[in-house]
Parts: sequence; structure tokens; C-alpha cells
Amino acid sequence: MIKVTNIKKDFPIFERQINGNKLTYLDSGATSQKPNQVIDEMSDVYKNNNANVHRGTYVLSSETTSKYENVRSKFQKFINAYDSDEIIFTKGCTEGFNLLSNSLCKDFSEGDEIILSEIEHHANIIPWQMAAEKYKLKIKYIKVDESYNLDMNHLEELLSSKTKIVSIVGESNMSGMLPNIKEIVSSVKLKSDAIFILDGAQLVPHRVVDVQDLGIDFLCVSGHKMLGPTGIGVVWGRKELWDSMDPVYGGGDMIEEVHYDKATWAQVPHKFEAGTPPFVEAIGLGAAVDYLQNISMTEVQQHSDNLREYAKNKLENIDGLNIVHSLSKNAGCTFSMSVDGAHATDISLMLDTYGVAVRAGHHCVQPFHRKLNLDATFRATGYIYNNEEDFDTLASAIEDSLKILK
Amino acid sequence: MSIEDKVLRYKKTLNIFPNPQEKYQYLIEQAKKSEDFPDELRIDEFKVNGCQSQVWLVPEEKDDRLFFKSDSDALIAKGLVTLIASIYSDEKPQDIANSKIDLMEEFELGVILSPARRNGAFSMLKTIREFALKLTD
Repeated sequence: MIKVTNIKKDFPIFERQINGNKLTYLDSGATSQKPNQVIDEMSDVYKNNNANVHRGTYVLSSETTSKYENVRSKFQKFINAYDSDEIIFTKGCTEGFNLLSNSLCKDFSEGDEIILSEIEHHANIIPWQMAAEKYKLKIKYIKVDESYNLDMNHLEELLSSKTKIVSIVGESNMSGMLPNIKEIVSSVKLKSDAIFILDGAQLVPHRVVDVQDLGIDFLCVSGHKMLGPTGIGVVWGRKELWDSMDPVYGGGDMIEEVHYDKATWAQVPHKFEAGTPPFVEAIGLGAAVDYLQNISMTEVQQHSDNLREYAKNKLENIDGLNIVHSLSKNAGCTFSMSVDGAHATDISLMLDTYGVAVRAGHHCVQPFHRKLNLDATFRATGYIYNNEEDFDTLASAIEDSLKILK
Repeated sequence: MSIEDKVLRYKKTLNIFPNPQEKYQYLIEQAKKSEDFPDELRIDEFKVNGCQSQVWLVPEEKDDRLFFKSDSDALIAKGLVTLIASIYSDEKPQDIANSKIDLMEEFELGVILSPARRNGAFSMLKTIREFALKLTD
């Protein structure tokens, strides 16, 4: 069992007072807080090792290079990838999707199809829309049913030999939905030759992810949502796929040989990492992986499940609160909420006066908000440093705020 | 009353409330007692871009002076835009355009008046200034 009180001590931000209250941070879906271990590791690199990676023939550069490249191996173990060369560093999940859409879609034919779901984050919609327009591809969306889960029959209807990409969220940042990835992958592989991409932005920070077991082809990960710094993310992909793909960004460090009229590419992973990479951020991400693995991802997942159960009961008891949350037995600890007659931004501004930090808006899931006829919701997300008390504070702050607002 | 005097008056009122929650409650009261906003004006032309909630600001010119009608679907934003509209209403476009007063600095309204560019209050003030500048050309 996770001891939240001990974990909280590692996160200096919880010493802050907000409007005279202790900080109740429930916006980890947007970004997670950082433990001292991550902050110190990054500061240590700047103080003691800093030099550009892959280039120098001196001690500092060799130290940073080895720290940076070690993170690839750490991440390989973290998600059980086949090979550490399959780990490509990006600046975040969004860049991951843009990298994949730009590199993969140019080889498709006019009329080929991309399947997404109705509840995707804009990061897993817009890059595909841009590629679809450029290469005349079609995008289809798997319906989300009234229990906020994917309609598997609809997926079956959409799949065909024209399907080239299926890209689906692993844990919804709006409803906490956890699609059955293995089931989806087996349907996809049975009815098409499509590449399966998993959006791991919310999934990887909270649950055990084993890419070999899931049978997926690519996984996009955001570093700052899993205790790491901003400006770093990972795309994992099968080595044979990376090998067959062209790079998207050109520049230093991604080449083998350069002539005035042509160039050849370096091997993966470096083929996809042009220019000086955010190596200090990557090393920070490595410290975040260590931190999570020290607790163990099984424990992190169990904590998310327990907290979700508690929060669900607590929030469901608030009069007039509409909750957009997966009705499945398992879901992430993410609750998007609305109240008839009170605006989400008013509620979140009022919650802030109690020291409660939640997000208000469409959380980059505008089409699904529109489908539900909601302008905006306010969203609470729990993570390893949150406990029952945080959701008690949230619930009573919501009730008090509504008294003022309604 | 000049823009500066109105700002000073609101500043005094807001200072009575020691914490953000009471300041928000004051804005909510202003919103609740503001005059009705005609439905037909709730159109894109009058929508203020860059606010987290929907905000409308409608200018009207009467006897060389500008007047503003305003609304929002959120109460705190509505209170804020009501207050801003009343500060700049019944003023000459030239005076609005020339006014150097910085509401973001004058009012302590916590996160809703933080001096970030992508902020609702910033967009409201920019919209009012643009209306005034158009008439002073």
C-alpha cells in the first residue's frame, strides 16, 4: 500500500499555502508535480556534468551521454520494450503524434483510412487531420457509448483493408475510460494490416504498461505527466517499423554521412532525434521512472483504483453534480464534472479559494464535450500524492462553492 | 465621473474584501443584479475572444460617448465584465483611448486579473480599447 503522507514529503510544492489553505492539487491530468529526486537529479547534471551529448571526447560529455542513453534502457524496462533502441525521445506526447503522422501517412494511398475514437485528446486528432488533408486520407471515429466506453461493435464495422492506422487513447483524460487494448488490437490485426498506436499520456503514469503483452506497434508518452520535467516525452515503436520509416526532422546528430547534395541517416533511435536533444530533461525523466519503479507500478495502479473508488462514491453523493466518468469496473481516477446552472470556470475559481486546484474547460477534448452538449467541465485527477482527504476537501469545497454560485 | 475616479471607487470597494473568495462573491452579486442582456446580442460579432467562458461586449455610441452592454455565461466573468463596462461607459472614445490606467495593476483580483496575455480580463480591456480607437480614427 502506498503511504501518501510519506510520498507527499518528497514533493516540495506541497509546502505551499494557497489562499491561506493547504494545497489540494487535483490537476495531475494536466501536469504532475515533481519530487525532489527529479529536481535534484536535473540540478546535479547542470552543476556537475553538463556537456552536449554524443559529440565530445571529454569526461563531461561522456558522463552526460551515458546518463542520457541510460534513460533509454530504463524506459525500455519500464514498458517492457524489446530493445532500448526502440525508445525515441521527443519533447512530449504531442510531438510524438506529429512525428508518427508525418512519417507514416506519406506512404498511404488516397482514400486510406485512419481510425480514432470520439473521446481522443486533440493531440491524437489534429496531427491526423493535418495528414489526412495533405494525403487525402479519411478519418473515422469509434463511437463512445452511454457508459463512456468504446463501442466495440462500431469498431468492427469501421475496420477494413483500407484501415492503415488505429490510434486510441489508453486512459481517457476526460472520463478515465480504460479501453480493452488487447481486445481492440486483436480485432484490428484480424481485420486489417493497420498499425496500432496507443496514446499513453494518461495511461503510462498510472498503470502497468507492457507493450509486448499489449501487442501494440507504437506508444506515445508524456514525461511531465509522470513526475518528469516538461519538454520530454517518448515514442516507443517496434524496431522493424522505425527502421522502415523516414525521419521527419533533419539536422545534426541524425545523420550518417552528409554531402552537399545528399545525406544518409543514422540508425534508430538517433535517426529520429535531430539536433541537441533535451538531455537534461531526459535524465530528469529517468529519475521519475526510478521513483515510480521504487514504489512499483503495481502499487501505483492499485492506488489509482482505490482512490477512484473512494472519489467516485464521494462525488456521486453531491446533489446536482453531473459526472462524466466511465461506468466500467475499472477506470482511471479522472472525473470531469458539470453542474446545471453553474459554470465550470466559476466553480474552479471558487475551488481555488479553498486551495483546490482543478482544471476547467474542454481539456483538449472539444468534440466529445460538444457531443455531450457541454461547453465546459471542471476536472479532478488523482495521483500518487493524493489521498482520500484530498477528495473530501474537494467534495466539501464543491458543496460550499455551489451554495455561493446558485 | 472620469475613468480614473470610477476605477478608484471600485478599488476602494474591492479593498473592503480581504480575500479572493469575498471578492468573487462581490463580483457574483454585481453579475446577479446587472441589467438583462438582450438575447439577440448574444452573437459571435460581440463575443470577446480569449475568455474561458463566453463573454459578450456590445458598444453603443450616444451623443459622442460610448456605452457598453455586457454579459457572460459564467457569473464571476459576468461580474468582472459588468464592472469593466461600467468603468468605460458614458465616456468619450478619445478618453478611453488615451486612458493610461492599468486595471490589472489597480485591482487585486487574484487569478482572474493576473497579467497574462491569454487572459479573459486582458481580452475584455483590449476589445473596449479597440472600439474606442475605431471611433477616434
